[in-house]
Amino acid sequence: MKWLITLYGTASPTASGASGDFTLASTDVHGTFTLVRIPKGLKSKVWAKRLAGTVGFTLQVQASDDVTASTPTWYVVDSEHLASAGSLELEKRRPIVIQGRTGREGIKLSYANTTGAGTIYAVVEVEITDEED
Amino acid sequence: MLISFLVMYFWGGCVDSLGLVRSGDYLTVFIPATQSALVFRVRSRVNEGREVFNYGPLPIASGTSLPTYEGTSTTVPADGVLPARSYIRDGIAFPALTGMETVFTRSDIWYLSEDDRDRLFHVKTYMYPPVIRTDVQIPAKVTQGRFQKERVITGVDSELGFGRGFIEVVHIPLLDYGYRFGNDTNLNLKTFVKFVYGEYLVEVPRNPDLIFDILVRKVPSLWVTLPIAYVDPKIVDALVRVYGFPSDRLGFKVYRADERDRAVREYSELLKLLKV
Repeated sequence: MKWLITLYGTASPTASGASGDFTLASTDVHGTFTLVRIPKGLKSKVWAKRLAGTVGFTLQVQASDDVTASTPTWYVVDSEHLASAGSLELEKRRPIVIQGRTGREGIKLSYANTTGAGTIYAVVEVEITDEED
Repeated sequence: MLISFLVMYFWGGCVDSLGLVRSGDYLTVFIPATQSALVFRVRSRVNEGREVFNYGPLPIASGTSLPTYEGTSTTVPADGVLPARSYIRDGIAFPALTGMETVFTRSDIWYLSEDDRDRLFHVKTYMYPPVIRTDVQIPAKVTQGRFQKERVITGVDSELGFGRGFIEVVHIPLLDYGYRFGNDTNLNLKTFVKFVYGEYLVEVPRNPDLIFDILVRKVPSLWVTLPIAYVDPKIVDALVRVYGFPSDRLGFKVYRADERDRAVREYSELLKLLKV
């Protein structure tokens, strides 16, 4: 079983150095969301990222061991920097893997270190799978 | 190519690349609760070459209330959307789409009448997104998943006893099946259902030795195990009325390979009663 889901996020930071979480959408999902919870026994693999914006920013993939906690603890598992206005496409030969051990793990996309006020975009391809490799 | 070869090799060459039984080959429907099986020869597949049925979203309407894994309830936000952390407790059927209203029962396209005893639907249901939990109730509202005999009931609402994204069943006429689905992600999933099905014209082989050889796997046959751990009275009723099995012998019992004489004697008596 594997499911490739494309997550889209956009944000409009108003000043240099801004940070925050992307509000996400997907054609497979009704409505918006801020994180993807990984079912127990499955794993998420982050395969590809596309960054674009009228200003530069750092895209962070963050993971948590328990998204059901009242204040989840997040840690950065990947970071890519768009130095200035433009776009950047990145693919992984080896994906970033987060295992669903309890069913409470999750990932989210964040931005930081914006270089000014503008609009930024992130598109990330995530595979949810029970396969080993 | 390699996958097709492996499928044909391991299933004895009686199925095609879709996993459906080819005309002239055998289908064995095994019922674990009775340790017996229904053995059919597929005389023909009437939808040959037209086996894929893109049904569309799950038939769950906007506003429907569903239970959640947290023990609360939630509302379906739009037609065909399985809400985050929700599941379907009482299995659903797939109603007829536009243009299919003349099926026997409009609320269930796979339901066949008692008179359709020479016909079987072999249905492989593919769910999208494939992360969706799946199981099936036979008959509807009777959950069949069990762990340690009757001690634990399992299924999409449990920690175990479900698949993801796929179910394969054979629909016995006169029995209503309840398909159940669960979404243990935090996302409101837009769903899509694709069926790959065979509408078979079937007969029961009249040679008891052949039935024995099929059941000891000397003769190739596609085995489909129905998830029946508890024999509900509706199952008894269907097998008696549709095929003519006596209520105390619901199918051909699976014997050991060294019990041919006993098995053949019993099968011969059963075959005198069967209607197909």
